[in-house]
Amino acid sequence: MDVAARPALPRRNGPTAALLGMAVLVASEATLFAAMIGTYYYLRFETAVWPPRGVPEPKWVVPVILVAVLVCSSVPMELGSRAAQQGRLAAARSFFLVALVLQAGYFAYEVHDFADQLRETPIDRNAYTSVYYTLLGADHAHVFVGILFVVWLLGKLAFGLTPYRVNAARVITWYWHFVNLLTIVVLATLLSARA
Amino acid sequence: MTLRQLGILQWLGLLLGAGVWVAQHLIGSGLTQADCGAGGAGWGISNDAWQAALALAAAALVLSAEAAAITVFARTRGAGFGDGPPSDEGELRRTRLHFFAAASIAANAIFFLIIVLDGVASIVATGCRQG
Amino acid sequence: MAVVAPPRPAAERREARLELAWRGRPGLLGWLTTTDHKRIGLLYFWTTLVFFGAGGVEALLMRTQLERPNNDVVSPSTYDQLFSMHGITMIFFFIIPMTTGAFGNYLLPLMIGARDMAFPRMNALSFWIFLASGIFIYISLFMGMAPDAGWFDYVPLASRAYSPGSNIDFYCLGIIFNGIASTLTAGQFIVTIFTSRAPGMSLNRMPLFCFAFLAASFGLLFALPVLTVDTVFLFLDRNIGTHFFDVAHGGSAVLWQHLFWFFGHPEVYILIVPAFGIATEIIPAFTQRRMQAFPLVAIAELLVVFIGFGVWAHHMFAVGMPTVTMVFFAAASAMVVIPSTIQVFAWCWTMVIGGGRFRTPLLFIVGFVFMFVTGGLTGIMFVAIPFDQQVTDTYFIVAHFHYIIFGAAVFPIFGGMYYWFPKVTGKLYFELPGQISFWTIFVGTNLLFFPMHIVGLLGMPRRQYTYPDGLGWGAYNLAETIGGFLTAAGIVLLLGNLLVSWFRGEEAGPDPWHGPTLEWSTGSPPPEYNFAVIPKVSSAYANWDHEDREEDRRRLEQGVLVLDEGNRQVAVTPVDGHLSEIVDMPHGSPWPILLALALSLVFTMLVIERYGAAAIMGVLCLLALVGWHSHEPAEETA
Repeated sequence: MDVAARPALPRRNGPTAALLGMAVLVASEATLFAAMIGTYYYLRFETAVWPPRGVPEPKWVVPVILVAVLVCSSVPMELGSRAAQQGRLAAARSFFLVALVLQAGYFAYEVHDFADQLRETPIDRNAYTSVYYTLLGADHAHVFVGILFVVWLLGKLAFGLTPYRVNAARVITWYWHFVNLLTIVVLATLLSARA
Repeated sequence: MTLRQLGILQWLGLLLGAGVWVAQHLIGSGLTQADCGAGGAGWGISNDAWQAALALAAAALVLSAEAAAITVFARTRGAGFGDGPPSDEGELRRTRLHFFAAASIAANAIFFLIIVLDGVASIVATGCRQG
Repeated sequence: MAVVAPPRPAAERREARLELAWRGRPGLLGWLTTTDHKRIGLLYFWTTLVFFGAGGVEALLMRTQLERPNNDVVSPSTYDQLFSMHGITMIFFFIIPMTTGAFGNYLLPLMIGARDMAFPRMNALSFWIFLASGIFIYISLFMGMAPDAGWFDYVPLASRAYSPGSNIDFYCLGIIFNGIASTLTAGQFIVTIFTSRAPGMSLNRMPLFCFAFLAASFGLLFALPVLTVDTVFLFLDRNIGTHFFDVAHGGSAVLWQHLFWFFGHPEVYILIVPAFGIATEIIPAFTQRRMQAFPLVAIAELLVVFIGFGVWAHHMFAVGMPTVTMVFFAAASAMVVIPSTIQVFAWCWTMVIGGGRFRTPLLFIVGFVFMFVTGGLTGIMFVAIPFDQQVTDTYFIVAHFHYIIFGAAVFPIFGGMYYWFPKVTGKLYFELPGQISFWTIFVGTNLLFFPMHIVGLLGMPRRQYTYPDGLGWGAYNLAETIGGFLTAAGIVLLLGNLLVSWFRGEEAGPDPWHGPTLEWSTGSPPPEYNFAVIPKVSSAYANWDHEDREEDRRRLEQGVLVLDEGNRQVAVTPVDGHLSEIVDMPHGSPWPILLALALSLVFTMLVIERYGAAAIMGVLCLLALVGWHSHEPAEETA
């Protein structure tokens, strides 16, 4: 090897392309949800009784508790990401596993509940049910994608730690912070029908 | 002022005005939608008062962003916009500050105009009449 | 100004190593698995030219139909498909992919001194998805089921009750599919601009072309998701039975329009901002002067798109909204003129003080400024709400937006084709046919679009497949049709000129124009690694900084920042452009095209309403993604 790789200039730490890429994805997804939440309020402003007669108000006790549990998964995600950055492979694996259990538990219950609600009040009842289920379903879909990310990450971590995987861990943790925030916003929007 | 402080002011000048206009635009037009829709009609929104307050607050914030931009521009006078090699790290930053300050001065002036026009027009226009 | 001359042993050895590391696979397989931004740019270029031809044929068919009153060249339903597909094609399959996909992909890394985009495989994915979405939507045309409710596809016309066929399903899915490609490109450009610039290129030393593409990318990133939401709602309304746009069940037809135009108006600026970028390259090259008011032009490019997000309801002034709502959009629409005007003055002033060699590329830019100002003057009239309500859906509107979209967005594309032709092919084009092609297109488009103002004010509505005799519209329409064919002839001459020049043109050398930016500092066509050494940059007009180019030659000799061990490039800090790390780039991969293939299966299953099968194809996509990420880049050693 000759001196080719030696940089001539001093270095500064900057965000990696992967982190910026995730920021771009998050910005795009946030816009997607902003459009749906905008739709929710637009329809609400146009409709005299909200939710319309014959449609139950959204339940709040169980969803709030569940979302609180989901949001708690941000903690093991962050700890896992830091452990990975410090090279502590076993710790990283366990933190991500704990997070996965919380996320998967939340998702399983929510899917079950979603199906129950659909049986009781179908999506094609009126505009309220349309936007309610679409917004909630889109949020669940993002939780599902996040779960796939963590499963994939654990699969990668089973074969050791590389700089590439550390980067992946950081980026996926960012995605989960975003999804958790998103879930809070979506729940708050849907529960505003009770106000 | 240190370069670090000027740096913060520069970003404030560049981003605050933009953010404020977005907020005023969405909240302002959203309020009229709520006030004029079947759902919000009964909420008793006093459109004129809200719009006036909103426009005044937004205009004040945009003016402070403009002030930040002007401050940075004045404090980096003589730095140029980066037409040639910077002699050191400090000059590199000063040219960038000067560049974005000049850009922000123009941007905030435009945001200010839009907000004032919005505020005046939404008060002059009468209620939910469709024109 | 060649970087490579005079070659010395050490420099030659390094270049040979770079050559070896960056060489693509030979043959067809090389093109299918390429991640080289220049090859992807060329793939985009050829594909969008084909779509441009299709959109052009659709336009000529419409003009033939409208050439005289009571004409019956095409049936009303065919005409509906023609104008819908013309709009969709020109916007989603020509201008956006031509500017961002072809020009952006090819030139952006060269201008910022990078060897490739930040995510080369994602770049390839974006192209293959774009191609698949184009084929997807054009299949519908050949099946006679093309979208037929206009490019903005208003409900209730587009709802299941009034459009029972698959036409609108093709629209919804095709638009979502295409949107994925554009979002990938936009994200790619943003990350590339912020991380892959040559060290020393702080944001205030970045070429204005890159500011323009940054603005377009931010525009796409924030506008497309809203269109996606809108088309998903429509798809659900049509196929699942939801009621987003169904007034009878508490939905709102105006909601479609709000969401559509929240995307649709920024879209217009997304189309035109790259044209601004091209103008800010060609004007300095032919006046040999830096752009005047550099920071103002940079911010104006960004502001046009940014304020463009706040004007969407001016497309809906005739739809029935409270006046208090409309004024918000009228105010922003009036003020968005200011950043556009800043740029017009800067272009004109630079040309006035610089003089200018009025060769073909600059002629197209002068034509562009003329068309942009004309279209802008009619545009600002729509801010006056009562006037807008009078001319909505007449040919006056059609005249206005064609002056903008054809005159202002496409003229610089033509100018850019001539300007960068020597860079891409290494050959010079023929000047005289070039100038003739400009004048033909210029006269043709004005003859085509100017009379539309008049017939519009006379009351001719858009989207009518014919019109009765005796209204005094016939002569104008005939003139428009003649103008249409004249424009087409000019475009054929332009493309023919470039094609012949490709084979017969003189050798161009690396820098025939003494161009301002870094792409002119490397070979024509550029080597696969773009730059033998990561260039030193100290101003936005880097190719004119001769000392820096000398420094590049010394660095190549000394082996500083040559990075010839594998596929490497530098990453920098986003704002001030300090060297941050040296990264290994992926190079060539079969996964992008496989993933795009799996994704097109998903959309095919969706359009034939096989949702279970679509889910299975979705699993294929996931498998492709896992395969994609099974390859990890080598670890950083530097």
